[in-house]
Amino acid sequence: MDQLFVGIKTALLSMLGTFMPDWLVTVHSVLISATGIAIFGPLTMMYLTLIERKVVARMQNRLGPNRVGKFGLLQPVADGIKMLTKEDIVPYKADKLLHLLAPITIVVPALMVFAVLPFGRGMIAADLNVGILYFLAVSSTTTISIFIAGWGSHNKFALLGAMRAVAQMVSYEVPMVLSLVPALMIAGSLSTGAIVAAQAERWFAFTPWGFVAFIIFYLCGVAEVNRSPFDLAEAESEIVAGFHTEYSGMKFALFYMAEFMNTFTISALAATIFLGGWHGPFLPSWFWFLLKTYILIFVMIWFRGTLPRLRIDQLMGLAWKFLLPMALVNVVVAGFWYMSSGVIRTFGSIACLVVAFMVLTALNRPYVPEKREYTFAEN
Amino acid sequence: MTELTFIAQLGIYAMMFVVLAAAVAAVTLRNLFHCALALAGVLIGVAGMYLAMHAEFLAMVQILIYVGAVMTLIIFAIMLTQRLGAGDVAQNNKQSLFGAVAAAGFVVTLGGILWKTPWPVKEEAVTSSFSASDLGESLMTTYVLPFEIIAIVLFAVLIGAIVVARKDAPKGAEQ
Amino acid sequence: MFYGSGVLRGMLVTLKNMIQSYFCKPEDGGLFTSQYPEKRLPEKERFRNFPFLIYDKEPENLRCVACDICAKECPPKCIYIIRDFDTDGKPLKKPKIFDIDLTVCMNCGICEEACPFDAIYMDHEFEISGRERQGSLLYHKDDLLKSNEHFHKIRPTDAAAIDTRRQEDEAKKQAVKKEPPKPPSTAS
Repeated sequence: MDQLFVGIKTALLSMLGTFMPDWLVTVHSVLISATGIAIFGPLTMMYLTLIERKVVARMQNRLGPNRVGKFGLLQPVADGIKMLTKEDIVPYKADKLLHLLAPITIVVPALMVFAVLPFGRGMIAADLNVGILYFLAVSSTTTISIFIAGWGSHNKFALLGAMRAVAQMVSYEVPMVLSLVPALMIAGSLSTGAIVAAQAERWFAFTPWGFVAFIIFYLCGVAEVNRSPFDLAEAESEIVAGFHTEYSGMKFALFYMAEFMNTFTISALAATIFLGGWHGPFLPSWFWFLLKTYILIFVMIWFRGTLPRLRIDQLMGLAWKFLLPMALVNVVVAGFWYMSSGVIRTFGSIACLVVAFMVLTALNRPYVPEKREYTFAEN
Repeated sequence: MTELTFIAQLGIYAMMFVVLAAAVAAVTLRNLFHCALALAGVLIGVAGMYLAMHAEFLAMVQILIYVGAVMTLIIFAIMLTQRLGAGDVAQNNKQSLFGAVAAAGFVVTLGGILWKTPWPVKEEAVTSSFSASDLGESLMTTYVLPFEIIAIVLFAVLIGAIVVARKDAPKGAEQ
Repeated sequence: MFYGSGVLRGMLVTLKNMIQSYFCKPEDGGLFTSQYPEKRLPEKERFRNFPFLIYDKEPENLRCVACDICAKECPPKCIYIIRDFDTDGKPLKKPKIFDIDLTVCMNCGICEEACPFDAIYMDHEFEISGRERQGSLLYHKDDLLKSNEHFHKIRPTDAAAIDTRRQEDEAKKQAVKKEPPKPPSTAS
């Protein structure tokens, strides 16, 4: 049961191997993994939209969509049909090539990250030995796509929204990378498979530095995906939907798809690097991986249903003034953890992190002006 | 497996062709934004070349830094300092022929020098592959002095950027 | 308390909402959405939509006498009345044509308040959708005529009050007919 999908793939390949030469079987092995990802990715995204709508609705005391299929299960199909049949409007003076290029260049990296996710024991599509760096590199190309989207709309508000989105993404990449560094240090490798294997006895999130790194990575991930409460750049009531204002129909569907696929990949990576990947008792490994990922996605949806949006200066302040110093302190604490042992290392690291947290929150208090005395007012 | 190496070589030649085409496009297109995007294509293609030469770490870092950060900077610079709407920037002027001749002469000279130089490349240096941990080790042991100097230079850059970007205190107005 | 405790408290509130929405009754924290076409909420008596004409027992006994007051009082002028004439050319106390344009009517109820003959009242019918603008949304006299029983069903207290008032007026008229009024006394 644990190796269900691996078994299916080897069976298929041996069946193909009976009538095909070896090199073609290798090519097919790659094709089978790629097809699996290409089916799983958009399907996940479709049902994630439905899960998000229903969970947010339940938190707001109402039912989500429940008319289209039983419990609304065919709602994503209806949404897909709607987006496919909508008229594709390109503004008159907009550059058609750029307008077309932006959704493509934003979906392709979102889908490429699925290749390094360890879905289960022995179920990574491509176990690169620079897996984490691949994820960081590929998701940093999203900034150019947002630029192209904003510029290609020939709309000054879209450009402004795109600038804000790019500023947000670039500033949250720094604490994200720094929060991953302790996990890489302790695991000793950049490959996702090796990081999961290094968490066999104890998940990284149960260590002091790992807990802080997990929280920082998760918050930076939420900001990278442009979700609430960091969705200033693209929320409906802000600068007219930001960089995807002028997109309709299939192009908007691609932006939407990229956002949800990014949600899935960030949650999956947080589960892989900090929550032990596919480790877990009794149940199959891929089930544990998906369970952890979906719990983290539920927390993201929970954030959306609860928190008001952050203003752009509050957002930037959080990244540069709080998360970045905390991540740096965390790197030092992780090094201390690795070098020492016993009771001193637990208490030392926890004390260090708590002190750093208190100092940073004290330094980041918002400026409250003193109460004024009105001489002529009564009470 | 020779079929696979053949397909791989075809792919590498195709990638080289794409890099060259994008580089030519980056200097000849009329719309400056398109030129910037062609430059991003060149950088991604170069990362692909690094992958073909078994330098995965360098390829990923190339994409992370060049395409993720440097291209963002270049596009910001283009967007904020130039009106791109007027796409009628003249592509040639009166000195085009002279310039073409000079460029061709330069290419021939440089190409001849590159072809005739005996590069001291050993066989094992071409076929070996380094992992990220080997890179880290050599940075900390053999190349630690350049590493520290680069760190100091980056630190100076950060401080300089903050100083340049700070708002000037209105001291002159108060006097 | 510590930085971020407010966020966590808020998130517990939404989680409580979500769990309660599955298990609790509508009164104490559950969902109170009613699934519209299958279950409808009970209508309130004071709900007011488009007008209708009342008849007492037969559709020929409609109370409307085509006095044209409601058409004159209607603010967007959606009522169109033409009086009926009999074969000799004498006017009858009935409308031949009584049209209300539902696309114009703004449901204000002024026609109901202005009518002196208790002939036109506001109905509760709201599921009137049409495919064309003028085809199914221009109501003629036959579409507007509804019985007094229908009026009792949708607005019981108002209908009962109006019926008692009409019976009292009927009784007073009958009493006056039986006993002719005394002639005024001559001034001395």
